[in-house]
Order: sequence, then structure tokens, then C-alpha cells
Amino acid sequence: MEEKDQLGRRNFLAIAIGAIGAVIGVVIAIPAVAYVVGPALKRKTSEDWVRLGPTSKVELGTPTLFKTTIERQTGWIVTEEELSIYILTEDGRDYIALSNICTHLGCRVRWITDQGQYFCPCHNAAFDKIGLVVSGPPPRPLDRYETKVEDDQLYILLGG
Amino acid sequence: MSVHIGDWLDERIGWRNVWEAIFLRKIPKVNWFYTLGSATLFVAVLQGITGILLTIYYVPTPDHAYDSVVFITTQVPGGWFIRGVHHWGASAMVILAVLHMVRVIMSGSYKYPREVTWFTGVGLLLAVMGFGFTGYLLPWDQKAYWATIVGTRIAGVAPLIGDPILRIMRGGEELSAVTLARFFGAHIWVLPATLLLFLGFHMYLVIRLGISAVPRKEE
Amino acid sequence: MNEKERQEYLEQYKKEKEKGVPFFPDIIFKDAVVSLVIFIALVALAYFVGAPLEPRADPADTNYTPRPEWYFLFLFQLLKYFPGSLEVIGVFIIPSVAVILLLALPLIDRSPKRYFLRRPMILGATILSVIGVLFLTIQSSREIPLPPELVGGDQTAVLYTENCAPCHGPSITVPVGVNLHEIIAQSRHEGMPAWSGDLTSDEIDALAGFIISPAGSQLFTDNCSECHQVAELVASDPVALKKSIQLGMEFAPHAEVEIPDWNKSISQEDQTKLLNFLVAPDGQRLFATNCAPCHGQSVAFAGGEEQVLDTISQGGLHLEMPPWREMLSENELDLLARYVTDPGSVPEGEETFQANCANCHGSRIPSSEDVEAARQIIAEGGAHDTMPVWGDVLTPEQLDALVTFTIAAAEGTSVEIGQELYSQSCVSCHGEFGEGGPNPSRAGDIIFPISTAEYLKTRDDFTIRAIIAQGQPNYGMSPFGSAFGGPLDDEEIDAVVAYIRSWEANPPVELPPEVVIDVEQNVVLDTKQIYDQLCSQCHGLNGEGGIGPAFENLQFQATRTDTQLYNAINIGHDATSMIGWGDVLSADQIQQMIQIIRRFRPSPVSGQPTTAAVSFSSDVMPIFQAECVACHGNFGGWDASSYTSVLGTGDHAPMIIPGDPENSFLAQKMIGTQSIGEIMPPAGLLPEDEIQVILDWIEAGALDN
Repeated sequence: MEEKDQLGRRNFLAIAIGAIGAVIGVVIAIPAVAYVVGPALKRKTSEDWVRLGPTSKVELGTPTLFKTTIERQTGWIVTEEELSIYILTEDGRDYIALSNICTHLGCRVRWITDQGQYFCPCHNAAFDKIGLVVSGPPPRPLDRYETKVEDDQLYILLGG
Repeated sequence: MSVHIGDWLDERIGWRNVWEAIFLRKIPKVNWFYTLGSATLFVAVLQGITGILLTIYYVPTPDHAYDSVVFITTQVPGGWFIRGVHHWGASAMVILAVLHMVRVIMSGSYKYPREVTWFTGVGLLLAVMGFGFTGYLLPWDQKAYWATIVGTRIAGVAPLIGDPILRIMRGGEELSAVTLARFFGAHIWVLPATLLLFLGFHMYLVIRLGISAVPRKEE
Repeated sequence: MNEKERQEYLEQYKKEKEKGVPFFPDIIFKDAVVSLVIFIALVALAYFVGAPLEPRADPADTNYTPRPEWYFLFLFQLLKYFPGSLEVIGVFIIPSVAVILLLALPLIDRSPKRYFLRRPMILGATILSVIGVLFLTIQSSREIPLPPELVGGDQTAVLYTENCAPCHGPSITVPVGVNLHEIIAQSRHEGMPAWSGDLTSDEIDALAGFIISPAGSQLFTDNCSECHQVAELVASDPVALKKSIQLGMEFAPHAEVEIPDWNKSISQEDQTKLLNFLVAPDGQRLFATNCAPCHGQSVAFAGGEEQVLDTISQGGLHLEMPPWREMLSENELDLLARYVTDPGSVPEGEETFQANCANCHGSRIPSSEDVEAARQIIAEGGAHDTMPVWGDVLTPEQLDALVTFTIAAAEGTSVEIGQELYSQSCVSCHGEFGEGGPNPSRAGDIIFPISTAEYLKTRDDFTIRAIIAQGQPNYGMSPFGSAFGGPLDDEEIDAVVAYIRSWEANPPVELPPEVVIDVEQNVVLDTKQIYDQLCSQCHGLNGEGGIGPAFENLQFQATRTDTQLYNAINIGHDATSMIGWGDVLSADQIQQMIQIIRRFRPSPVSGQPTTAAVSFSSDVMPIFQAECVACHGNFGGWDASSYTSVLGTGDHAPMIIPGDPENSFLAQKMIGTQSIGEIMPPAGLLPEDEIQVILDWIEAGALDN
């Protein structure tokens, strides 16, 4: 009888130890996983309208290059990044904002006036005026940004 | 199923012997004070886990250390928790180690045949103090910086060897990036290695010799 | 423990073990419970308190009170009980001994007794150590940032606890005569900041007073602080302070105020403490405020300590000057009076002074502005009332300090005296550190630094002495020697020289390298550097002009002959701000300078293309090979290694628009007008002629020739 009691007690103790271990393990493990994975899951949440400049600088019918610098925070380090954006308008009302980053491997495209095309020097890709692929390897047209005009100033939407 | 796996493994690595030797060995009846050693070990493991997690984001250079600590505390999910536990764990570690030592003194456990266990224990206590001292600088905040200035200078007062010690600790005349880097190195490599060495020996001796019994009045 | 006892123990232990319980789960369960409790505590601390983080480390912040982590506080506190040379005991010996004892414990206590009550020695030692460490830790955490409300509104005590206590503990013992103000202000040992950066002079005075007489500070708080700030009273006139306490309401400024009769309500002893706090017994400060107005820097004196103490204590009463009119003629009295008030005006008075006065007065006597008054004092002799009876005014500590200083000053550390004199007579022109500056007596002139290693090395003491004594009339420096009508006698000049000489070991002024044009030493600087540093200030780095004419202007180049340029550089133009450089530059350098100026050809936009046909393979390619290909070869982007790649590659291709250098990106990158990225090469502009070759080549159509 006593023997059996002893056994029951031991079993209970073993289970209790396991439970305590599990509680401690879980309380540590959950924050630990969040801690390791957290920054990877973090999305850029902020959307920002960035001012490029006056609409008067945009030539009708020709892509015009605008430059702006944006601050980008990675971890605790803030870096300044220069963005180049081609703005095209045919009528002075609707604007198309094209990133100058080639959708193939990220080289910078240039507008070649003579040919009426964007040209990427890395792999001789060409895009037409509104950013559609004309030739070469890029998988998709040039990226576009949403635009708006306020007080004759041109804004594009970054992030999001 | 689990029995099968257990057998399969036992046949190959002989874990049951180890299990029996370590966990099923008989121990004299002891009181609650005798849990302090295990508690210290528990906190040490906790410190190891949280410490390893902290190194994922921490950068030991003067221009990044502080920012990365702020980043851990405010930006990384659970970062405040990991750092908080590590911070308070350091204090708990010192308290528990000292209490454990007082218990050992009180029960006369350092006596024959456990003298060497005691030696390694003192080594462990010094290692814990070393952890505290080196870890203190790492956040590179005001408190860290100035306390380390004072701390290293205290070491520099020792006759003859004081100045060289001061310079070795600081890695030069001044407290600098070099100091931070070497404190970091000591904190996460040198001291853990030392600790593991002493700890392994300590544990081996504890298991081999058994926990001392609570002395009777006439003993 | 002998063999038998050991066997007994092992057997006993074996029995205990058999009666015992298995490690798992009985023992481990207890361990797990304790661990869980500790874990919960840690989580709670992390959640509710968090890990503290102070502002970023600022090595420049001297106000920060360093404190180690709490488990080192006992060690930190221990150091406070071992000041100065004893520090090594607290820092090194005690901790080392403690660790060794701890380590050797099993070797020390080898008795077989195990029950704690049967080991009173070990029990006692352990309890003592624990209590000791606890006491030190608590003491330390109590002592350091004593909040203001705990010190009963004593501002100075707060100042002390905030700034001094962290290192010095609750009090500091200082020997009499130590110049505390200076030590606090300028720091004495490593780790002690120079507080003059953070504290006002009044605060330092208050601290000095507090260190010597903490009780005085408390008395001040109790009795005076209702009406007075510490700052307004410390280091003020001891005569007035003494009077204000002794006279109470009869002291004029206190007339309208309801105050107790302090002379009765504050014991003599406490009055001394209070006065010691307000005017710290600090010899130099006391002398400077109380004696220097009449006695100058130091009193020439050859007596012993006793005698000085007597003289100072008795004040005016010590003066036993004979009535000189009985011994000297009217003329001699006049002469002396004039000599005394202004030694420079009557050099011949020195002889009379030496004969009659120097015995007691040394080389100096209390100065006086008024010839008549001086004459009267000399004529009548006897005591004069202007010297207070300091014995009644100063506390014994203050008197001691004053005597110590007076004797030290009389023996003369001439450097310190020199420093004082320098700051009186020289600073306004030569600057605090001899750095010089605009010459106040000659507009537009700059006084050269006199504290550079260079300057001091090339002048011996004799020269400097002569310059001080005789002045430099050509540069507007008046003579300072008394023999030439100046204020300083020979000893004082020597002191000033000694002070100036003291810079030599560690010159406070280092000439910036570009100022060392080394005209004197004829080290020839690269002429281009001279242009960049000097000429460009007016003419522009690229000859684009500014205050002076633009060299890149075609008309400028066409209408000036080399001779004209030479003359313009050599002698300057009176009508303009162009000064003549002939004194500075050698003829060769001026010739080279002309070459440089001629190289600022008109920029490609405004100019005509140079005539000669430029060849790509023999002119342009070598430049690319030498300057560009290292990077612009294999690393992507623009490739400078062949004709086709030069024209066809690059992130912003095309890099070259034939015939249009102005809009060619390559050209823009080379001359710095690019809209994207940095100038190329990153190290800076290529040589002018190389750029020109490339511009010409583009202009000519960027042919593959």
C-alpha cells in the first residue's frame, strides 16, 4: 500500500516537474520566436506623399527626370536614398510617374530622346514612353507611382 | 512507440545508464536551502538563452551599441522582455550564487571530500562577477560608460601590475571602441567558456560525490 | 581530519544516502518549484520595471556621477575609507586577501565538525563578512545621491554630495594652507575633472569652505540662508563678515532687519566655523583678496613663521616706522613719495629707497596713488590705520593658511607670480596663452604668437627680458621695465620671463601647418598649394574669380602679358586689395604661379575649341587607362577600356554626346557639373590639361582616331 502511494507521489512529482518546465519553456519561447522573427515580418507601414517639384518643370510629352531623397530606416540605421523618377504628361493634367529602376535586375534606365525610349544599359532593355517593355529581358513594365498635384506641386506616393 | 525509440537509442548511446547515474541516484534528505545551487544553474541557463538572443541584434561598437540596444528594447517584438530578463537575471545570478555559497559554508559542505567542488565554486563566483562587470558596459549608456571608467581605474590602482592591467582592460589608455569590443568578447566568449569549464567540473563532482547531508547537531 | 574520521564520514554518508530519496523526481521537484518562483520574479521585474537605459554615453560629460552595478557597490564604498596612498589597501589588498581566504577555506577549516553551531569561528567570520558587505552596500547607496531635502536645504552640501561625494565620500581631510580653490577648479589627479568648467567660481569657493568646515555650511543654512545666497557671501571681505556677525543689527546693512544678536546666539566656536565656511582658509585666495590690493603679488619678507603671524595678526599695529622728516630733507621726502607712487617717473629715487626703506619693505611697498598721502605717511611714520588688525578678523585656520602662503610666496615660485603679472600686463595684447591677435595699438597689424615652440626656442631669456623691459616701439609695444618707465621691476620681469619660458615644455599654441609658409626657412611649398591656400581666397580655386579678377576669363588671359602678371604678383596693386607677394614668394615661385594662372584657360562652354586634332588612341585612351580603368573596367557601370565601351556603356549611357562636351555626362563628371553622383575621379579633379584633352576630343566629335 505504502509502496503504491510512493509510486503515485513520484508520478505526480514527475508530471509537476514537466508542467513547470513546460510553462517556463513556453513563456521564454514565445517572446524568443517573436523576437527572432519580428523584424522580418515588419512591413513598411507608412505611406508618404513625397513632393517632387513644380509641375511647370514637366515638359509636355517628354519624360522629365525628377530627383528626391528619402530617408529609409533599416533597424536602427537611417540611410538617405536618392530616388529618380521620370514624370510624363501629355496634357498637363494626368501625370505618369515611372521609377527609373529597370524591372530586370535593378539597373538605372535612361530616357533616350532620339529613340523615344527608356534604355537600360545593363542588358540593352528598352521601354517605351509609358514604361512598357519594348525589348530585352525585363519581366514587367517600369514601376509606377501614384501621383497627385497640389498647388501646382507634383507629389508621388511612396511606400504602402 | 516511445519505448521502442528509447530502446533503440539506448542500445546505441546507452542513455539509460547516464539517466540512472544522474537522476535516479539516491540523495540524502535535504532541506529547501539545498535548491539554491540548482536555482543558480537555472538562472545561468536562462542568461545563456537570453544572452544568445540579444546578440542577434546587438552590435558592440560605440556608434551602434546604444542604438541597437534601443532598437531591441523598443522595436523588436519581445525585445524588452528578453533584455529585461537578462538584466535582472544578472542580479539574480549574483544573489543566488552568494546565497548558495553561504549555504555551503553553513552546512560545512566544503569539507572532505568536497574541497575541489568548493574551489570550482569560488571560480564560478568570480566568473559571475566578471560577467556582471563586462556586461555592464555593453549598452554604452552613461551609467555603463562611467561605471566602467571607474571600475577599470580601480583595477589600475594595484601596485606594479595596476597600470598594465588598466591598459589591457581598456585596450589602451582610454575607454574606447577597443574596450567595448573586448568587453563584448569577454562577455560572450571568454567568460562563458570559463564558466562552462568550471560548471562542468562542478557538476561532475556534485554527481560523483553526492549532495552533502544536512549535518546533525552532534556532527 | 584523520583517516579514521574520513572513513567514518564516508560510512555515515552512505547510510544517509540509503535512507534518502531519488534525485528525480523528489529533489528536482523542489528545484523546479524554486526555479519557477525565481522565473516569475524575473518576468515580473522585466515587465514592471524593465531594464533601465540611460542616455547615450557622453565622455565629455563631467557632471555624471558614476556608480557601479549594485553588487560592486560594497567594493566601491570600501575605497572611500582608504584615501590617497592607502587606496591600494582597499582596492587591491583587501579584495585579494578576501578571495584567497575564500578559496582556501577548505584548507583553513579542516576540522571534522560540520554542524554550524560547532564551528563558531567560521560562523562568526561568515556573519561578519555578510554584515560587512551589506553595511557597505547600504551605506554606499544611502550616501551617494543625497537628495536635497535630506540635507536640510544646505545648498552647498547638495553641491558636495552631487559632485564630490561619489569619489571622495562624506568628507575630505585637507592640510592647512592647501589651495583648495585651485585644486577644485583645475583638478589634481587623474579622474578628477577640472570643475571650473561646470561650477562657477563662487560655487567652488563654497565647496572649498564646505570641505574645510561642513558645520559652517550648516550654520549658514540655519542663520543666513533666509536672506543670503551662498554665492553672494563666499569669499567676500572677511572684515565685513566679521563685523556683520559681531555687530549684529548695528552693522549698517543689517540695520533694518530683524535679526538675533549673533555674537551671543552663536558660540565663538561656531562663529569660527561659519567664517571658515564663508572664507575658506585658503592662503592664496585670502592673500589675493585681502593683501594683494596693498602688497601686490607677494611681500618681500625674510622672517620666520612666528614673525609673519605676529605681523599679520597685529595689522597696522606692527608698523613702527620712524617719522622720516626728522632724518630726511624735504627734497628726499618728495623724491621718495613720488618714487613710491610711481617708480618709473623718478628712477633716481631708487637709491634713496634702497638706503632707507628696503630694510623693512623689501623691494616693494604698499602702493598708493596719492603722492601727498604717501608723503605724509613717510614724513610722520608710525602706524597707519589702513591695515586691519587681522588677528581680530580672521579665524585661526585662516591665519595659518595666510601665513603659510605668505612665506611660500615670499620664497617665490616665480612662475606663479609671473603668471599673475602676465595676466595683468600682457594678456590684453598677447592673449591668455600668448596666442597673439590683432594689435590694439596698430590697426591692421597682427601680433604673432609668442608661445609656439618655434618662437620660444629661438629667443633666449636675455632677449625676452630685453623685449619686455624696453618694449618694441616699432610694433607699438611700450617698455615695461621700470628702468624704462614701465611698471615692472627686474624681479618681476624675470618672473614674467620664467612664466613665458614655462610654456616651452608644452606650448599652448601650435601653429596650424598652413600658416607655416616657412618664409624664413625657405622650405618651398608646392606653388599649386600656395595658390590653393592663398590666391584662391580672392581668385577662386578654379580661377573663377571673386574679390580678384577671374583667371578663366578669356579677356583677362589675352590682355595680360607674363611680365604684367609677374609685376602684379610681385608688388601688388595699390588701388586694389592685391598685396605684393614679393616678400613671401621667390621669383621662381612667382614664375610658377604665372604658369598656374595661365592654365586657367577659358572653360569649354565659352571658349573656342583648341585647334590641334586630338587622337583617341594616343591622347585620350592613355588618360582613361591611367585614371579610370582601374575601376571602370570590370566592375560594371561605365567601361573605359575601349572606344566602343567608352561610348556605349554606363548606368547613364550614353556618357558622351559627340560635339557637345557641355552635355556629355562624362565631361560633366570630370569638371564637377554633373547632376548625379560624385565628381570623378573621386580623389578630385584630373590635371587641367588632361581634362582639356578629353573635352577637346568630345568637342571634335569623339572620333575613334
